[in-house]
Amino acid sequence: MRGRWLSYPVALILILAFSFALPRLMPGDPLQAIYGGEMLTEMSPEAYAELERRYGLDRPLAEQILVYLERLAQGDLGRSYYFGCPVPEVIGGALPWTLLLAGSAFVLSSLLAIWLGIESGWRRNGTTGHGLLWLIGLVNGFPDFFLGILFLLLFGVLLNWFPLAGAMTPYAGYTGWALALDVARHLALPLAVLTLTNLTAVFLLTRGSMVTVLGERFVLTARAKGLRDRVVRYRHAGRAALSPVTARLGVRFGQLFTGAVFVEVVFSYPGIGGLLHNALTMRDYPLLQGLFLLITVSVLAANALADCILVRVDPRAGHAH
Amino acid sequence: MHIDYWGAVKHSTAGRLGTGLLLAVLAAGAAAPLWPHAPEAFSQAVLQPPSATHWLGTNDVGQDVAAQLLHGARRSLAVAVAAGCLTTVLSFLIGAAAALGGRLADTALMRLTDAMLAIPTVVLVIVLAAYVPLRFTGLVLVLAFTGWATGARVVRARTLTLKNRAHVLAARTFGASRRYLLLRHILPDIAPVVLVAFIQTAQRAVLLEAGLAFLGVGDPDAPSWGMMLHQALGFYYTPAWSWWLLPPGIALAVTLFSFLLLGSALEPLLDPRLRRDEHA
Repeated sequence: MRGRWLSYPVALILILAFSFALPRLMPGDPLQAIYGGEMLTEMSPEAYAELERRYGLDRPLAEQILVYLERLAQGDLGRSYYFGCPVPEVIGGALPWTLLLAGSAFVLSSLLAIWLGIESGWRRNGTTGHGLLWLIGLVNGFPDFFLGILFLLLFGVLLNWFPLAGAMTPYAGYTGWALALDVARHLALPLAVLTLTNLTAVFLLTRGSMVTVLGERFVLTARAKGLRDRVVRYRHAGRAALSPVTARLGVRFGQLFTGAVFVEVVFSYPGIGGLLHNALTMRDYPLLQGLFLLITVSVLAANALADCILVRVDPRAGHAH
Repeated sequence: MHIDYWGAVKHSTAGRLGTGLLLAVLAAGAAAPLWPHAPEAFSQAVLQPPSATHWLGTNDVGQDVAAQLLHGARRSLAVAVAAGCLTTVLSFLIGAAAALGGRLADTALMRLTDAMLAIPTVVLVIVLAAYVPLRFTGLVLVLAFTGWATGARVVRARTLTLKNRAHVLAARTFGASRRYLLLRHILPDIAPVVLVAFIQTAQRAVLLEAGLAFLGVGDPDAPSWGMMLHQALGFYYTPAWSWWLLPPGIALAVTLFSFLLLGSALEPLLDPRLRRDEHA
């Protein structure tokens, strides 16, 4: 089943084609999509013609594609006209915040979901197991932005425990531990929301696979040996139940990224999601296109990486469809 | 082959609760035109708390929140049904074509499916909506063309196992055409899979429609829950959150939850071993 790797180049081509087509899909002038309305009206006809030549818009479509790919290969994503500097620079400034938020949510939600999944699978017929299943199903019904709004209202506005917006207190001049504490306080609410909304998939997967594994003979053997409950639960059954969870790593990364977009908007967090929202509101098309490429290509890369890891961890996966 | 859909829904708590919630949302959507206030009518009464005339108060430009909420139900359900149907038809056609269309078609369609699954389509839809204003039809088309992959994969897998079953083989030896096989033998057998795929894509459609409007790139002329959340979020520090910000969010959560419950109630139908025998 080597053909499966072919899907990544296919996906990459789809993404590039879409990104190339985006400005040309807009009714009217593609340059308007690249540079924005106001700038074009102020421009002299010579400058306009120069721009047209630079983007290859006066040439046939096939050559336009080549020009586009060439500019992309040079890392030229255009200039954000809202921030007035190159797109990679703008994105680079926001990326660390999203990595902090999404990264810690990834670790936290994975650990929590696996733990709860194992416990709930172990007690699949008891009230605790059923209760957990319903509770997590309920959380899953909440769109991430509405859960974010609820947390914002409850812990931010009503209880006033956490700051309402941003990633740190501006102009506070904190250093060292005070700065770390400030960042953590701002991170707490978005992190909690993102962790909760990303719990479900892994929880259900671990629980389901735990229930299957518990019926296997090696679990019976482990019990017959007189091992303690906890050892059977985690070292024997739990470990075997984790393989399908690894398989979902890549997909989860994608969900986490898009989830972070919505959560960041609610909490005005200055990461990729906040930037995307800004670009949407300002119709900052070059930035929008750059963000689209960054998010889609990194999710694609994560998927490919997760596939690699999975084949290493579980050789059977290489043969499955 | 008889599959007792209603029985599966009726006999589980999740199914009954899901049906009840969905019916409530449907009733709200049906009642929308009867409501005394129009959702877009402005008035002088700005940010009024709930009262006898405005049951859920008014927003920052004096529009009736309850009217917007009811019309939002129509919008969400319309998008859910339209996008759900179109996506499921696409999934079924692509999945069945891959399974029955020979090796080359299978390889090509499955690589495309895998590619679609690896792309974060939510971001794609958001960015697209910023370039091209998505009205109802546009939104439904975009949702369908980005959402068919998961369903297609399941349909293909099920069709492959059915293809070599005795009754299908028998029909083939009698010279049944592919179309006949598909409609008379494959479709009835994989109907539960198709139904669950419909529910999941309908749920995705509701969530994405609301998400787009929440980010401010939805249809500006259609009152929707996402748009209400988008506008009300700017006023969360005023008392208005309790009647303006919470109701659309709760309505959205209830709708999504009802789809989720119905999906899990129908899950036993997916596995024939778990199916309840009618005479048992």
